[in-house]
Amino acid sequence: MAETVVLPDLEREEQTGSKSDLEPGWLVICWNDPVNLMTYVTHVFQVVFGWNRQKAEFHMLQVHRQGKSLLARTTMEKAEHYVHQLQKYTLHATMERES
Amino acid sequence: MKLLRSDQRGFVFHLGKREKHLLLETLQLYPLIPASRHRITRNGDSPADDERPRLLEEALAEHRRENRRQLQAMLNEKHRFQETEAGFQLNLSAPQMEWLLQVLNDIRVGSWLALGEPEQGDEPEPSKTNAQCLLALEVCGLFESALLAALGVHESPRWR
Repeated sequence: MAETVVLPDLEREEQTGSKSDLEPGWLVICWNDPVNLMTYVTHVFQVVFGWNRQKAEFHMLQVHRQGKSLLARTTMEKAEHYVHQLQKYTLHATMERES
Repeated sequence: MKLLRSDQRGFVFHLGKREKHLLLETLQLYPLIPASRHRITRNGDSPADDERPRLLEEALAEHRRENRRQLQAMLNEKHRFQETEAGFQLNLSAPQMEWLLQVLNDIRVGSWLALGEPEQGDEPEPSKTNAQCLLALEVCGLFESALLAALGVHESPRWR
């Protein structure tokens, strides 16, 4: 039976602050590794981003099956904050400039 | 390690005597991940300048020092583990659950790094030199799973 997957919105976060902080956009990416438990990754996404279980599972499975998942498109400061939080939980997360 | 009950004040787990010993011995390994592991960007494309990766590294180092202090406090706290007829009861608040998950996962990932980052199911055969890492990898996974189950996070058959 085909799996029904509801794609979550990767919404742009509300932008505040000076223009220089907002441009260009930054992407927060989580990379796959074979050591972190799938349940652990799901839980961390829920805690760090405040997502519901369904959305956290969607991104966890994207990391697991596709090698990475784009978790947020946001300002530089917020991207740094998210990467820091994810790395506190020892997930392999990075940020990169949106092209 | 079994969840006995949870309420607004936190979580109460039962641990057998050997489980408690294994948990405390494993926690002594923290921290295991080298600071150089943490990189803010993948390709060295620093957001603004060289300052930011250094600041992130410093913040994470401070976070790990704080974790280490909390860990030592927990290990020295006589009432953290209450002895029962069948073993021990471990009381954890919600923030302590998050903290313990971070500490256990640092040991798990650090052990995996020390083993040469093997793929799942491709771990090396146990030997005198890698036995501690293999054991820590498995033990941390088991304790993490128990904590996550208590938080209501279970693996789904759809994930495989």
